[in-house]
Amino acid sequence: MSPICLFLFLWFDFNRINVLIILVIFFLFVLYFINQAKKGKSLFVRRIAGLDAIEEAVGRATEMGKPILYISGIEDMDNLQTVASMIILGNVAQMTATYDVPLLVPICRPFVVPVAEEAVKQGYSKAGRPDAYDKNNIRYISDEQFAYTAGVNGIMLRDRPAANLMFGSFFAESLIMAETGFSTGAIQVAGTANIHQLPFFVVACDYTVIGEELFATSAYLSKEPKLLGSLKGSDLAKFLIMIILILGALLETFGITKFSSWFFVR
Amino acid sequence: MDLYDQMMNLDRRWVYLVIGLVVTITAILPFKVPLYITPEVRSVYNFIESLEPDDVLMIGVDYAPEVMAELHPMSYAITRQCFSRDIKLLLCCLHQNGPGMVEQVIAQVSKEYDKVNGEDYVYLGYKPYPGITILAMGQNFRIPFPEDYYGTTLDSLPMMKKLTNFDDIKAIINISGGSGTEYWINYANGRYNAKLAIGVTGVMTSDYYPFLQSGQIFGLIGGMKGAAEYEDLAEKGGYISREKDQLWAFKSMPIQTTTHIVVILFIVLGNVGYFMSKRKKYGKYEHP
Amino acid sequence: MNTHDIIFNGIAAFLSISIYTFLYKDNPLYKFAEHLVVGVSAGYFAVILYYNGFIPKLIEPLRQGKFEYIIPAILGIMIWTRFSRKWSWISRYSIAFYIGSGAGIAIPLYLQNYVIRQLHATMIPVGFSTWQLFSNILIVVGVLSALFYFYFSKEHTGAFGGVAKLGIWTLMIGFGAGFGLTVMGRVSLLSERVVFLRDYLAELINYIF
Repeated sequence: MSPICLFLFLWFDFNRINVLIILVIFFLFVLYFINQAKKGKSLFVRRIAGLDAIEEAVGRATEMGKPILYISGIEDMDNLQTVASMIILGNVAQMTATYDVPLLVPICRPFVVPVAEEAVKQGYSKAGRPDAYDKNNIRYISDEQFAYTAGVNGIMLRDRPAANLMFGSFFAESLIMAETGFSTGAIQVAGTANIHQLPFFVVACDYTVIGEELFATSAYLSKEPKLLGSLKGSDLAKFLIMIILILGALLETFGITKFSSWFFVR
Repeated sequence: MDLYDQMMNLDRRWVYLVIGLVVTITAILPFKVPLYITPEVRSVYNFIESLEPDDVLMIGVDYAPEVMAELHPMSYAITRQCFSRDIKLLLCCLHQNGPGMVEQVIAQVSKEYDKVNGEDYVYLGYKPYPGITILAMGQNFRIPFPEDYYGTTLDSLPMMKKLTNFDDIKAIINISGGSGTEYWINYANGRYNAKLAIGVTGVMTSDYYPFLQSGQIFGLIGGMKGAAEYEDLAEKGGYISREKDQLWAFKSMPIQTTTHIVVILFIVLGNVGYFMSKRKKYGKYEHP
Repeated sequence: MNTHDIIFNGIAAFLSISIYTFLYKDNPLYKFAEHLVVGVSAGYFAVILYYNGFIPKLIEPLRQGKFEYIIPAILGIMIWTRFSRKWSWISRYSIAFYIGSGAGIAIPLYLQNYVIRQLHATMIPVGFSTWQLFSNILIVVGVLSALFYFYFSKEHTGAFGGVAKLGIWTLMIGFGAGFGLTVMGRVSLLSERVVFLRDYLAELINYIF
């Protein structure tokens, strides 16, 4: 056997060639759209309804003259949801600076603090209010999940913010915070990709941004080519999956299994 | 504030008090609850029933004490069934707070059945980074676990002489309270095609039905109800005994029943209050 | 139950009740129990990690002359530079290696297990002649409508919007099921604690009298 053939035989699993083909197709989709975005081409992303809810929350806080509380989850900057949350925070900071509403940002992880400070500072600068930026409003509370939750609950009960915005990665503390916020009468908008916590946010908050919408919101707001390109690439992949699914189900119904069997991983 | 507004704005501490009372009263005055055995639990039981003596089953125990109420009964029932049928067990733990859980189960049950460490079961112990550990076990158990939990070299254990990797075991049953199950599905089943069944907490159960439907797992024991179903099957099979107080999850089913009824009543109360107060506010034919 | 069990189970019972006092309102007992569990679990994890990770994965191989383990040791030390503003750039190499190797292992497997195998499992025959075929329709329609909801390249208007609305209904039904299972899970934990407290009280009374 030639060395190349031996290499392929030992290192290449031909049973999973379908996985490779689909992986390459998805990568090509994403790379294509990132390239398009970098070239400046306008990529349409529908407006996420959660953004309207955020604007309503900021408006209400302005009317009531009370602060807005922004919670970015309990994970570190290596979690994509926290990254998306920081982008949304920058946008919220710009809105609050425009309407002169205090923005409180309690943080769970030390490494998130400088990122949050930078996001808020930039937001205030974009709104033309760099003087209004108050570093003391961005506070590190605790790394421990429930110690952080206790701290956030304390802020909610003492400062009585008019609006609570919770975007990021949450776990068991989600319902505790959402319930406390609900009891203070604040308008609440939440978003997370942690599926287990979505039911709690749906019942306790006024609006919930579900799963991938969190990343779509951050891509929509930032217009960052990589984020937009990834979103459009995954959209095209979803479209392809829908076509394959409909085709596969119809063919299976008529007893033709050859198409679906190609997707079977041995 | 009228009745409907009061229903909507009921202080949550009344809800806690009622649920606390219901749980306590049912714990003091239990009653029998008929149990329907779901196919996904029965498939795990039947699989173990189909094994021969001296077959090796792997149990990955990946949970901490905070979820032992739901998962410990599963571990005990499965271990008792296996030891009754002389099936050998290979246990490991991929959760940092879980080693004690495994030891509690294996120490107690092995004594009941006079099973010997190294011959009838091997407890590999705990290693961090579940994904890497499972990938390594798929090649050779000795890579991540050169010694067992008690410090004995694996090669010196009689049971391990014929075991190299997942190909030498009949199946893996992962009992997990966290993200460990994802690693077993992705790496053990996805990479090495190991036969896999899972036991998970109630919170996680709905996430794993797609994997049951796709055939990536052959069984799913979900939450305390799943544990109670398994205990019921094991009791009918003669592996655990009501007299010896070995049906923990099954005994908790009356509490589950009454509490769920109360929760449903509160949900109905809240929704009636919501719709009636909305109707009153906006009129019968007007809606915002 | 002997005296030793009475004392230690009594401590467990006291801490359980202390946590439950939070249901009324926050108080020093709850704070004490919460801080205790946080501290003990952090300390326990540190010890477990040291004896099950650090010693067998680094110290023992080095003692056995496997000096290639110095390379991952250096990569690990480099991550600690994150705490220094001046030297935190060094940690990026370790993080890049970690993310790169992790992505290389995980991405194909996640695609295989979470997309392709699920896609294959959803390509099922549909129809109205049997209950199984009808429930297959529900599965296929549910999956498609949820995918429609998460499609961001088109506005949710017209027929597309109608299917997306069906998608959100499907998601909400799923959330409801998840919520119900979560209630069961939480009640399980409560029931276990109540049974423990009941049994402890009975043993205590038995012990005293």
